[in-house]
Amino acid sequence: MPSLFVIRGNDQGSRFEFAEGTTSIGRDASNDIQLHDTEVSRRHAQIYGSKDVYTVSDLDSSNGTFVNGRPVEAHRLESGDHLQIGRTLMLFTQPPGAPEVDLSDKVAISSDKAFGDQSHIVHSVSHEESSHFFELSPQVEQSAWLARARGNLQAMYRAALAVSQTLDIDKLLHRIMELIFESVEADRGCVMLTDADTGRLQPKVQRTRRNSKDGDRITISETILDYVMENGEGVLTSDAQQDDRWNPAASIVRMGIREAICVPMRGRYDIVGVIYIDTSTSPQELMLKGVANRFSEDHLKLMVAIAHQAALAVEDTRYYSAMVQAERLAAVGQTIATLSHHIKNILQGIRGGSYLIEMGLSEHDETVVRKGWKIVEKNQNKISALVLDMLTFSKEREPDLQPADINRVVCDVVELMQAHAADLDVAVHCRLADDIPTLVFDPEGMHRAILNVITNAIDAAADSERSGNVEVATAYLPEDGKIQVSIRDDGPGIPADEMERSSGPSCPPRRVVGPGSVCRSARRSSANTADGLPWNPIRARGVAFPWNCRPSLPEPAARLLRKPPSKSPDPCLFCGDRYISLSGTGLL
Amino acid sequence: MHASPSVLIVDRSEETREVLETALEKRGIRTLCAARIHRAAEMARAQQPDLIVLDLELDRSNLGQVCAKFQAEADCQQPPMVLLGSMQKAPANPHCEIVAKPYHYGLLIRKIEEILETLNRDSRKPA
Repeated sequence: MPSLFVIRGNDQGSRFEFAEGTTSIGRDASNDIQLHDTEVSRRHAQIYGSKDVYTVSDLDSSNGTFVNGRPVEAHRLESGDHLQIGRTLMLFTQPPGAPEVDLSDKVAISSDKAFGDQSHIVHSVSHEESSHFFELSPQVEQSAWLARARGNLQAMYRAALAVSQTLDIDKLLHRIMELIFESVEADRGCVMLTDADTGRLQPKVQRTRRNSKDGDRITISETILDYVMENGEGVLTSDAQQDDRWNPAASIVRMGIREAICVPMRGRYDIVGVIYIDTSTSPQELMLKGVANRFSEDHLKLMVAIAHQAALAVEDTRYYSAMVQAERLAAVGQTIATLSHHIKNILQGIRGGSYLIEMGLSEHDETVVRKGWKIVEKNQNKISALVLDMLTFSKEREPDLQPADINRVVCDVVELMQAHAADLDVAVHCRLADDIPTLVFDPEGMHRAILNVITNAIDAAADSERSGNVEVATAYLPEDGKIQVSIRDDGPGIPADEMERSSGPSCPPRRVVGPGSVCRSARRSSANTADGLPWNPIRARGVAFPWNCRPSLPEPAARLLRKPPSKSPDPCLFCGDRYISLSGTGLL
Repeated sequence: MHASPSVLIVDRSEETREVLETALEKRGIRTLCAARIHRAAEMARAQQPDLIVLDLELDRSNLGQVCAKFQAEADCQQPPMVLLGSMQKAPANPHCEIVAKPYHYGLLIRKIEEILETLNRDSRKPA
């Protein structure tokens, strides 16, 4: 489905998907895409899609609509276009219409014999060795130009390495500044990033070479900064007049030269900041070295290239954070909506029960009073369970590992949910393997996780056309060292476009009730059940939910448990308590 | 209407069905109950109730389509309906009334009685 991803603006991180037909964009809530931007008109623009062709049209807005920086009245959108409405910048992407090319008949992997290839490995380079690619042995003669070129390439390569290896942006920017100081004879330097909210430049890194006479405070010309930010061009500045170089009485002889390089950090979508370096050459140095300029056009080009690398890393961090934040907020919103829905239903139940009690009291009909009271009591329990669940979910809990029977845990959950299932006309069927030995895991945590999954399965099955069914099964997979708890429902399933996102860092924002929420709630529970309990939700189309768990313990305890059970059990290596003897090896 | 009027209650909540059934039966109104659209449509075709009370949140995977889905499945002359919940578009059936959730049962029961009373008066008018 085509989509608009907000890369700048108040809705940064939001993704709006739309289908063919007309999609309206504006500030008003009645729009299909609502932008929280005061510079967006109430009904600002619309996108019309037909047969995979999408056209954006401006609806006579106050501030206009821009595609790739150009104002448009109507424009056919191509994947990758930047659409700007107000202060909001969005990226338009459209999945390819044509089926992907299958290259499996053009590229094949075969054994050497079958292929008839006599090649053998003559040289191999590790990742570490490749970082010294541009270093030359000092004995090898090279021209000054070649030495500079190799030096610049080395700096570029190391900047790219730093971007790929350093996850913390502040550390990365410090490393970038280090590389610049190694490659360029700068005396002082700083990196400034634009603030996401105000758009103003904020210093993030500042560095001064030792023995610099100018002190730590760097003053940058606002004119230069504005030029760099507005034009997106790097600049090399000097306070020396061009012809003063040849005039021995000129100011450079008296005062020296101050030079500066200021380059934009231009990423894929935007300029995210600037890198600035400067240097000053005293008259004495001028006399000694005879060199007027220390910064050259080559240095400027190198700085532009390094700044681009750094900007890509900054953008990735910002957009990923924004996306995660937006998904979290959407998930919070959905959670609140779901909670409100549940509380509303409980309130409706209490109202119903109270109504019958009142009716029964006024007609002196005890049967009706009892009916009403039963309903009130049931809903009291529901609200109590809901509050306890919320408290439990919000608390961090250490797993309480102990030998336990997974079938017993599953049976307890099914028994607990029978009444709820019966209310919704859903049948719960159990198919428990009888060869699962006693294992070491956190039974209370597993109970909660399985309860969450089964509750959602029952709710999903209640939506099926006829009477619903939920099947709960356990299996033991000794060759993989796993137990499997499988919960299957015959509900409507998860839409295909939500399947991909259901195992991401946060579950699909639009669908919390039903199998979609199982992922998140059960993941949370399973994360607390045992240290190192891997989570592997394999989902079919919202029907089967096989859940593979691999209970594990730190190695000493695992070794202990692999030993055949002895008549007098060995003491626990952690606390010295005697283990109860386990049937089978238990853990693998 | 010569026999006692009948109301088909279609709601996934057993409590709602129980409260409405108890209250309406006390008032001499026959009730039929169903928890799913398919079963409700079968009952509507077979029993021809005078009024249908339909929960619009019956199918949470298809909110907004419950009324249309039921009407398509029932495929019979549509009696008046009381819809519980909210709808974005007004229902096609002009004899539908919407009661937003959460509602007070007293008001809902009174509304059901009023509609049945109106139907009763209309059926006694000379042709």
